[in-house]
Amino acid sequence: MSRAPAHSPALERATVLANARVAEGVWLVALAAARTASSVAPGQFVHLRIAEGADFILRRPFSVFRAGGGRIEILYQTLGRGTRALATVGPGTEMDLIGPLGSGWKTPEGVAHALLVAGGLGVAPLGMLAERLARDGVAVTLAQGAPSAGRLLARELFEDVCRRTAYATDDGSEGACGFITTLTPELIATDRPDVIYTCGPEPMQRIVAAQAAEAGVACQVSLERLMACGVGACLSCVVSTVHGRKRACVDGPVFDAADIVWDPAEDPEVRS
Amino acid sequence: MSVVDMRVRIGSLELRTPVLTASGTFGSGREYADFVALSRLGAVVTKGVSTEPWAGNDSPRIAETPSGMLNSIGLQNPGVEAFCAEDLAWLAGRDVPVIVNVVGHSTEGYVAVAERLEREDAVSALELNISCPNVDEGGMAFGTSCAAAAQVVRAVRASTSKPLIVKLSPNVTDIAEVARAVEAEGADAVSLINTLLGMAIDTRTFRPKLARGVGGLSGPAIRPVAVRMVWQVARAVGVPVIGMGGIMDAEDAAEFMLAGASAVAVGTANFVDPAATVHIIEGLERFCAQRGIARVAELTGAIRE
Repeated sequence: MSRAPAHSPALERATVLANARVAEGVWLVALAAARTASSVAPGQFVHLRIAEGADFILRRPFSVFRAGGGRIEILYQTLGRGTRALATVGPGTEMDLIGPLGSGWKTPEGVAHALLVAGGLGVAPLGMLAERLARDGVAVTLAQGAPSAGRLLARELFEDVCRRTAYATDDGSEGACGFITTLTPELIATDRPDVIYTCGPEPMQRIVAAQAAEAGVACQVSLERLMACGVGACLSCVVSTVHGRKRACVDGPVFDAADIVWDPAEDPEVRS
Repeated sequence: MSVVDMRVRIGSLELRTPVLTASGTFGSGREYADFVALSRLGAVVTKGVSTEPWAGNDSPRIAETPSGMLNSIGLQNPGVEAFCAEDLAWLAGRDVPVIVNVVGHSTEGYVAVAERLEREDAVSALELNISCPNVDEGGMAFGTSCAAAAQVVRAVRASTSKPLIVKLSPNVTDIAEVARAVEAEGADAVSLINTLLGMAIDTRTFRPKLARGVGGLSGPAIRPVAVRMVWQVARAVGVPVIGMGGIMDAEDAAEFMLAGASAVAVGTANFVDPAATVHIIEGLERFCAQRGIARVAELTGAIRE
């Protein structure tokens, strides 16, 4: 596989340009961060210092959804203290970030067709990827799952750049009723993608990885872990792989699905 | 040229500045090389190194807490051979003293690492970690009893000619007593504090936030405890004290030196600001210059009582 170009990370001062709710519990923040915007690769992340002071000792890692024109966009869900605090900041607020970080999505040589599978906020690292693939002439299919129609994210962007989009909702208010993984076997069979990129709840990624393996299609997953340093030093964010424990912050967050040793007991959804 | 003499001595080690990195928070320095000119540091204190590779603990390994964080990494490391071949080989060319944190499940384990590092010229000193709260065998078990601490220090002392720093646990009734015990066995310096044993429980799931249940608390939350212990130990022993525990800025570093530390280590702050060490060095220099203090070492033990 070809490697994403590596740019060394730096501490960068960023200014909030806009911060708005885009769906129930989901926000999009745009930050002016020229260095990161021009160097980040699809699937990489930034380590954001949401607030200063003793209440927030740790930065928070966020995938970059889109980047360009000196700005980066981050899609986030208000789940904990950090993201709730982030949702309160307005334009002009300054914060600093470390970026770009991590090893992002890889595009194998000769890819003609890619399938992107997102569950919930799993679209967060996929915006740039879809745009980049489409620009490079790759036919992109996006399969997105969400609790309901109103929670499907960034539909305009994906419907603009993807050749095909498919949706599944838990309540059946849009697309198929049920998990997105009920649609993916058929999409794999009919689209015959050369590569599958997936992000979302870990059980979903595990199922997509198994479907990809069964179909003999290369699959990459983007995994989320609690993280302290973000630069590979503290070993907080390890992922179990067939090559031992790897760091989500530098060896990932994107991994070859075939390398992951899935442990349902370690699913964040199970743990939290 | 600086107006303030920032050099300090830790036994036979002369350090360019009194600011070191705290073991486990800075990898082997390489991970932070994009942010910090390592040659500006007093020393790089590496992650803990054992004889064989250790896989560490299950995830989740960290939890944010008020003014601090809990960690339960479990001393994951690739073993001393891989450490020497990769991390140490890289560090050797960086013009910064290297202090290797040494861990073991047994006295023999500690000794084996010390013996292996004896022939590495790039290693300036050893920091004997008898205070990690996140492993089942060894670690803190050695640091919470004077007899056990003395025994492992004696064994390692006999197997190394390098300066030997012993890192102490705060999870004891009387840390000064442990400090005296390791000084008596030939420790050249003591470093303190390692993390305080703590716990956090998720009230939504009723589960511990760390997979291992308990972990080590670090960050500003523990600073007053650490300053108190440095103050107690500095008056109990004759060897230099390296102080640490929630140092976020230069004033915090000065506080530890006033309490009796000859040098300080920065840990959790690296996660907040990857260049924290350099900012603290610059701030400490300003702190001294503004007060007409010619040598930073004059701060050591300068508390007015």
